[in-house]
Amino acid sequence: MKRALYITLNEVRLYLQDKGDLAFSLLLPIVTFALMYGAFGGQTLFTSTARIVDLDGGTQAARLVEQLDAVDGISIEMLTAADADSRLDRSDVQLVLIIPRGFTDTLMAGGDVTLLFKQRGNGGQEGQILASIVRSVAEEMNQEFQAVRQVQANLQGTGISDERIRLAVQNLLAKEREQPLVGVTEEVVGGSPDFITLYLPGIVTMYVLFALTMSAQVIVEERRRGTLERLLTTRLTAGELFFGKFMASTARGFVQTLILLGLAYAVFQFFTPLSFLQVLAITFLFAAAAAALGMIIASIARTQAAANWIGVVFTMFMVMLGGTFFEITKGSVLDTISKISINTYANEAMRTIVVDGGSLGDTGLSLVVMAGVIVVGLTVSRFLFRAVPGGK
Amino acid sequence: MAEEYLVVKDLHKSFKEQKAVDGVSFNIAKGEIFGLLGPNGAGKTTTIRMLSTVLEADSGEITIGGHSMRKESEAIRSLIGVCPQELALYEDLSALDNMVFFGRMAGLDGAQAKEQAMTNLKLMGLADRARGKVAKFSGGMKRRINLAIALMGNPRLLFLDEPTVGIDPQSRNHIYENIRGLQKNGMTILYTTHYMEEADRLCSRVAIMDGGQIISMDTPRKLKAQIGPPDQITLEDVFLKLTGRSLRD
Repeated sequence: MKRALYITLNEVRLYLQDKGDLAFSLLLPIVTFALMYGAFGGQTLFTSTARIVDLDGGTQAARLVEQLDAVDGISIEMLTAADADSRLDRSDVQLVLIIPRGFTDTLMAGGDVTLLFKQRGNGGQEGQILASIVRSVAEEMNQEFQAVRQVQANLQGTGISDERIRLAVQNLLAKEREQPLVGVTEEVVGGSPDFITLYLPGIVTMYVLFALTMSAQVIVEERRRGTLERLLTTRLTAGELFFGKFMASTARGFVQTLILLGLAYAVFQFFTPLSFLQVLAITFLFAAAAAALGMIIASIARTQAAANWIGVVFTMFMVMLGGTFFEITKGSVLDTISKISINTYANEAMRTIVVDGGSLGDTGLSLVVMAGVIVVGLTVSRFLFRAVPGGK
Repeated sequence: MAEEYLVVKDLHKSFKEQKAVDGVSFNIAKGEIFGLLGPNGAGKTTTIRMLSTVLEADSGEITIGGHSMRKESEAIRSLIGVCPQELALYEDLSALDNMVFFGRMAGLDGAQAKEQAMTNLKLMGLADRARGKVAKFSGGMKRRINLAIALMGNPRLLFLDEPTVGIDPQSRNHIYENIRGLQKNGMTILYTTHYMEEADRLCSRVAIMDGGQIISMDTPRKLKAQIGPPDQITLEDVFLKLTGRSLRD
């Protein structure tokens, strides 16, 4: 066991000596984090472009557009009817607001008007939010017209012109909008919950899988240097060699992920101190499982290229099946297939802690599966190293 | 009669249909330098790989220091040191770090490994470069480190597989002197080389291998006497007479 530890320390020393490798492996999590931050960090405001076809061209249509444009995060793109149809056909846009002909005249005459959403399917998530904003702006206009009509009716016969009443009511409502009696404000307490739910565990597990490719190369690397045979003529057993390399790969994968999670902890404040430690424990176990799988590849690969390719294919397969890039629907065929990817268990365990507020005790199955993969990975790799020609 | 430290009986090893070692038998006495000569592909390195526990023989018996290879390979690994034909070093580490690491692998504790590393580096004339990165060493220096590592853990039997390939005469001479010094201290050495004058100068006995078999084995003088007056004949003459002049792969 002592000699396995020396193998680990030697591997770490070699890793620290290779400045390029060191810089790359330590910078990579920082760069990944920067990209994550750029994509998701502190962005709580909905932004969208409202595509509008104005068939009316009147003052009230212009007011509607102006009020929509004043909403934070909404920008306006005016389209012709033909252009809107064409872009909807191409699925270039999901939803277009049509202001009908006679919109202004009907409103001014005290009649009812109807705005039209032309959309593909349900308009998409963004379209639905946009439609809701349009409805709220239309509702404001509606209330304003009703208020004007009510005041005009009450002041009928006083000699005050309808136009003066309209302006007075409009000014009053504008002031009200600036200083509402019932206001709403926001306090940003962390990143978007969607991001936590969907992406962070996936990104972390994908990252840990780099340890797999790294550990796939450790034996080939010794072979290339000529030190493998020399080591095997010492008192070091093949089991100690594998365990030492396994520990080094685990440590390397874990340290990289620790940087990534540490930055996420400090900047996004996703975690409580306890949940952070629990996620680290899961990550460590997963890094060890990935390293153990990498050792299987290491035991059969005879060249660096072979180790690399097998590692990459293995990693991609597990990332795709593990729900890193997309959510897997519970009970689907893919959900069943995903059970063969160790990523799935790591993702589930992390989501249990981060999203559901659970504890390590709630992740029992995932932890057992990962521990099992470690034992099986190390046993199989040791066996293959003996069985495959050119091994011990 | 000297104690036989290494005993090899009827050793066989094949790779698929290719017989690499075919019925090799020889003994090496304690404290002897024994030369294993042969053209490329003769089976020398395969023999050393089997003797150093890396490869398992298909059949035959190996006994080192009274321990049977089949039953006590771990005990054998504590008795042997191997200097492989190719450099087997961590080039990104210092000479001292390399030595200490392999010392630990040979069962030494930290202090012992460091002390022995410095002793062996001095022996190889590299004490002043102990902290230097191996990658920056010359070919001769790397060869000397390669040999020095084989001495870590005080092995009783040393396998030297062409330890002087590709180095200058000064480094080669330095290595010869060290090998002689090791022999004087009671170390048993199995030496392979393509340099016949090297074998003639160092080895008390040599075996010439070809086609996986030992085709002749004796003292250099007696081998030379087989084809002419020993003072006028070189070991290379004997080698070429026995193995022929055709080129090998």
